[in-house]
Amino acid sequence: MMLMLYQYIGIVIGIIGIIYTFIRFRDSKMSPGMLILWSIIWIVLIVLSIFPETTGYFANLTGIGRGLDVILILGLIGCYYLIFRIYNMIENIEEEITLLVREIALEKANSRKNENTLPEEDE
Amino acid sequence: MPVEPLKNQNTPKLFAHVNRDIWIIIPAYNEENIIGDVLKDLFSRGLKLVVIDDGSTDRTYEIAQAILKDNPGRGYLYKHPINRGLGATLKTGIEACLAKGADIMVTFDADGQHNPDDILPVCQPIIDGQADVVIGVRDFNDMPRVKRVSNQLMNIITGIFYGAHVKDSQSGLRAFNRKAALALDVVSREYGISSEIIREIKHKELKMEEVPIETIYTEYALAKGTNLKVGIKILVKMIRDILR
Repeated sequence: MMLMLYQYIGIVIGIIGIIYTFIRFRDSKMSPGMLILWSIIWIVLIVLSIFPETTGYFANLTGIGRGLDVILILGLIGCYYLIFRIYNMIENIEEEITLLVREIALEKANSRKNENTLPEEDE
Repeated sequence: MPVEPLKNQNTPKLFAHVNRDIWIIIPAYNEENIIGDVLKDLFSRGLKLVVIDDGSTDRTYEIAQAILKDNPGRGYLYKHPINRGLGATLKTGIEACLAKGADIMVTFDADGQHNPDDILPVCQPIIDGQADVVIGVRDFNDMPRVKRVSNQLMNIITGIFYGAHVKDSQSGLRAFNRKAALALDVVSREYGISSEIIREIKHKELKMEEVPIETIYTEYALAKGTNLKVGIKILVKMIRDILR
């Protein structure tokens, strides 16, 4: 079986992806759920690179003309999903920061010795 | 009770005859040019203030601090270490007021667009026990075109998304009684807070009154507040809240 260049690239990216995912997980920067999800994504990429014909099966299954189109469409949907997740994640972080900032503002005022006098300069 | 007593006088203890604990919440972000005058005016009326500096990068905090020093025991200053938006600032203010046992809370913009004479009329329905929340309604005819259109748009959007139809959803001058302040469950960090408050009034079945107020549109105030860009941001946020 003669592999095309894009297949090699796909395999290499998949392997790098898996290594990176495992390192992130080892360093506790990734949850087990994400480890599984990302591992599947990278393994699918490697499998599809080695056996590109299998995409034809999915193409027939979904009614999308060509195998490559299926991959591209799935990839796009995957990207949007991840962007959505990241967006929500940032939103949550913003909310947490706001909560902290508000707490700090109230706490600082509470900790002042004499409530009726104003704080000394903070700086 | 007529609203008249407030007019034509500047004597301190103006609110002494109102036997309620009224606190003014002033959210401030980079208002060094005007906040001094606003605070002095409110203090001269014998009001109690809670000022929240939302991470200003100018001298807003220092100016407020100096004025509060001259009025010991009547004003409290809070500082967000970083800017978090109007919604977060109002929440801090309300929380602070509730902790101090406030009876009536009035939100009042620091940019000088509100007339302090309007504070008592806005509180009156609460004092009379007719309302839990009072929204000060600006006269849209007084507004510059862009402001008018964006405010009308926000009223429509608030109506569509929250099913609450009010005359001025984005008004910065509002009064809450304690019950209403405790009931408010708002998450918006930015200007979306105004629409969210309207939603909460409807959802929590709070009694609302709308009282006409004056708006002072200075060049300075015009550059701030709800503009079209902010309006679009609020819209996106509302759509997101619904999808979530």
